[in-house]
Amino acid sequence: MMNNKPNCLRPSNLHYPSTKEFWEGLKRRQLLTKKCLPCNEVFFPPRSHCPQCLGNDLEWVKLSDKGTLHSWTQVNMARPEFDTPYLLGLVDLSDGLGRLAGKIVGAEAKQLKIGMPVKIVYADVDEDFTIYCIALEK
Amino acid sequence: MKNRVAIIGCGAVKIGRHPDRAESDLAMEAIRLALHEANISKDRIEGLFTTPDLLECVGLQINLLCEYMRINPKFMAEISCGAIAAGLAIRCGMNEIMLGNIDVAVCYGAEREASINYFTDSPGGQGYNLQDPVALQPYGSGGIIWAYALSAQRYMHETGAKEEHFAMASIRNRKNAMANPFAAFTSPITVEDVMRSPQLSYPIKLLDSSASRDGAAAVVLASEDVAKRVSDKPVFITGWGQYHDNSCFIPVDGCDKSISTFVATTRAAEEAFKSANITPGEVDVAEVYAPFSPHELMIPEDIGWFQKGGMIAALEKGETEVGGKIPINTDGGLLSRGHPWCVTPFYQTRAIVKQLRGEAGENQVDGAKIGLVHCEGGMLNNAVVMILGRE
Repeated sequence: MMNNKPNCLRPSNLHYPSTKEFWEGLKRRQLLTKKCLPCNEVFFPPRSHCPQCLGNDLEWVKLSDKGTLHSWTQVNMARPEFDTPYLLGLVDLSDGLGRLAGKIVGAEAKQLKIGMPVKIVYADVDEDFTIYCIALEK
Repeated sequence: MKNRVAIIGCGAVKIGRHPDRAESDLAMEAIRLALHEANISKDRIEGLFTTPDLLECVGLQINLLCEYMRINPKFMAEISCGAIAAGLAIRCGMNEIMLGNIDVAVCYGAEREASINYFTDSPGGQGYNLQDPVALQPYGSGGIIWAYALSAQRYMHETGAKEEHFAMASIRNRKNAMANPFAAFTSPITVEDVMRSPQLSYPIKLLDSSASRDGAAAVVLASEDVAKRVSDKPVFITGWGQYHDNSCFIPVDGCDKSISTFVATTRAAEEAFKSANITPGEVDVAEVYAPFSPHELMIPEDIGWFQKGGMIAALEKGETEVGGKIPINTDGGLLSRGHPWCVTPFYQTRAIVKQLRGEAGENQVDGAKIGLVHCEGGMLNNAVVMILGRE
């Protein structure tokens, strides 16, 4: 039986000016990333500088919340404040820009297939912090 | 390679738990044994290079060690770059000798990661700050087994490998470790034992995993001139390659990088083979740095001994056992030798030097002349490959 706890820790950059908006976007159920204004590179994950030209004149843009399951695992051993077992997935975002790892919710291991379509869903951990999760496309 | 550099001695302590001995005690014991084997006095040490001190002494524990040994090196440094640190420490010693600045260097590592609870007592969970904060860190805390598990499952998807194949690599390592007096795990195991051991993060089980242990090891490097004067069995560093494929653990910047084939391993190996002027098939014996059994399959494929997925049949046919096509981890590997992570590549180097000197005992590969040492950092994002050869 999979549990429903968030099983995540607050990231180190939750309140940093360069990434705060990503976490704010999750509260509004939006997946955001950054675009470099001088060179037009759109990149994920969002960071302080453009990985292409190293510029720091960036704007936030919306990202598709669809993707495909690149791989997954059932975690049975984790840090004490995480409840086990839980399913962890690695998603190729459908814009092809990047990947993220997240807890898979609302599914059992036997339903999972590498390459299957998935979508990003959102879970409020507390007032200050919302996290992304992975759900199967219906 | 110009101005050849030899390894003239190695020393190590048994891998395990050493709660009552300081890191400096373990380091000095490894260095003492290495100098003894090298037939050289401590006063000849001109370069001293070490791996990170996990107690975070900001690189100054090497000063203490010099005082304890009453030596004054011309060059010294603590090298930090994940688990390739020991490979780079050897590189630093090599460089100074090749430049003609010094004739003798000692490279060593000592850590008590099991006794100081390094992996369980750190505040964010070990690995927390190594992960991209947006894409991996929230869920990636409390260890790194999940990342290797994602890699393993992807490998199974692409090659048809089964959990039993991973278990076969664990068993090969255990069988080899049984003849290694320095190994931490030496009781016999079967495929069933591995399959029945607790699932940590599917498909990785307890007996597919390396265990955090204390250890210390040292190697003595010398210029060709000194090596030929003091040693009757010098082993030369004949090739060296390094590569970093930009990423840390899971590549997240883009979707094009594989997590079941690692470019860094391939490129570092290519560079090493080229500089040694050999082909992969000429290697007689190898040590590969696989923290989990699935990577015992991936690394030899990425080095070039097998096609992708070819390690499945190789394990079934025993091709990586002593007497096989390319004997791998004849010292027990990370899984059974025990894994003090910064120090492990020194144990690997020692294992290959013993093989090339014909001193590997029960697991001796007949007539071994060329050996390979591979170490990696992150999740195989960095790689160092070193080729060793005897005259």
